[in-house]
Amino acid sequence: MRVANALPVPVVEPVERAALPGAAAARRRFAFVGRVSVVGWRLIALAAFLGLWHLASIPAGKLLLPSPIDIVPAFLDEIRTGQLLTATASSLQVFAVGYLLAIVTGVAFGVLMGGIPRVGETLEIYVNALNATPRVAFIPFIILWFGLGTPAKIVVVWFQAVLPILINTYAGVQNTDPDLLEAARSFGARRGQLFRHIMLPAALPYIVTGLRLGAAMAMVGTVIAELQTALAGLGYLMAQFGGTFQTAKYFAPVLVLAAMGMFVSQMLKILERRLARWKATQTQL
Amino acid sequence: MDSPVEALRDVSLQVTAGEFVCLVGPSGCGKTTLLRLMDGLLEPDSGQVVIDGERPAAPGPHAGFVFQSFRLLPWRTVLDNVVFPLQVQAIARAERLDRAREYLRLVGLEDFENSYPHELSGGMQQRVGLARALALEPEILLMDEPFAALDAQTREFMQLELGRIWEHLGIAVVFVTHSLDEALFLADRIVLMGPRPGTVEELLTVSLPRPRWNYDFRATPEFLERRAYLWQRIRGMVADQPEFRAARADEALAPAGRV
Repeated sequence: MRVANALPVPVVEPVERAALPGAAAARRRFAFVGRVSVVGWRLIALAAFLGLWHLASIPAGKLLLPSPIDIVPAFLDEIRTGQLLTATASSLQVFAVGYLLAIVTGVAFGVLMGGIPRVGETLEIYVNALNATPRVAFIPFIILWFGLGTPAKIVVVWFQAVLPILINTYAGVQNTDPDLLEAARSFGARRGQLFRHIMLPAALPYIVTGLRLGAAMAMVGTVIAELQTALAGLGYLMAQFGGTFQTAKYFAPVLVLAAMGMFVSQMLKILERRLARWKATQTQL
Repeated sequence: MDSPVEALRDVSLQVTAGEFVCLVGPSGCGKTTLLRLMDGLLEPDSGQVVIDGERPAAPGPHAGFVFQSFRLLPWRTVLDNVVFPLQVQAIARAERLDRAREYLRLVGLEDFENSYPHELSGGMQQRVGLARALALEPEILLMDEPFAALDAQTREFMQLELGRIWEHLGIAVVFVTHSLDEALFLADRIVLMGPRPGTVEELLTVSLPRPRWNYDFRATPEFLERRAYLWQRIRGMVADQPEFRAARADEALAPAGRV
């Protein structure tokens, strides 16, 4: 035992260094790898990607693949005319309202289905069937019923996002520790209190996963709805520029969408981190 | 799977105010079921539970329950866990906090009110469980093997603490345990239960003077005699159960092997 303890790992390392004198030099040479932060590396990767893109655009030509250098003036031009801002505001509104509606209804129905087993067992199969159907299939009907304006687009976004939120909430509520429910009942908690104080917080990690999936779906829904209705929003800009082969301009709304997606997923990450404090228990118990 | 099993039959038990009663007996004798009936978590198929002349319709503030696995809400701080039953009973916000802090002080955890359960040791978590059960100021405290998940040292310390708190509050306690030492240390009365279906086999009064932590109560003749008697009774009850038959066979062989 003592011999094993007396053989610490560092003893091996100097030997290795002595045997391979080049190793230390190599380590020094690549020392900048450790000094550059993750953000730095992300920027380097982005620059490399843009460089490759530019190189690829030279043989492809401006129409098929505009260089990132061409996109910058197009982007600025769209900001100057105000059309990018108007479109972004319109898209954000559709996205936010549809997504929030999906959160409220998805969580409410998920808790209801999970909390009242008879309701869950009855509806589960239909929810899964609906989830497996491409929601795009319903868009013509949604347009028929709601027209081409904002309400129709909100319904499309809601419909895209609600199912992953609902399904994850349902799973989370079903996974509530029955011992905690019994403990709460022993203090006289009634059904509504069990929903609010036990099932909902117990399901929260699942719900956040649902929110993340739902956000991505809502984003897709926003663009699909705008491409289909083609009246306003970033999707409308894309349909317009794509249809008239203004490819450099086409990339501006795409970039805005990417930025929106990044922002939403960062916000959800912060939300997840706030939950992590008590979540440590669940792995411990 | 769900075919009904008769868990308890002809059980009659009276607990007087301020009394400490321990339920002991082999596994499957319905100790835990009896405790849940007393709380109202289970409805009896026949018979009734009466507390202070009334039949409680559902679990509530009349009884406080302490569980073996603590069952604290992991997403709530220590203070908020103790607040929880008060919140359920719609007690005013200011009073909730005062009362929760008062009972946290009673179990010695006033400095940990902002910790989360997973940051505490098992013994501390069960102190929170105890404070939470006491916060509603119940007439009776129901404890389901509350110290069984703790290590031996913590367990003895918690028994002392519980003894102290019980004497301070003068509350009635019904305490389920597998440990005869624990039962003899804590109880005014021990209820010996038998299995399949669960029945009350015998009621024993423990007259060892209190407080029992002032002297070596394990060395007293009453403790030794009671312990030996209870152990023998329980052994007799489990001897017929299949999982103990092998042990009995070993016992029969052992003396022969030693010669």
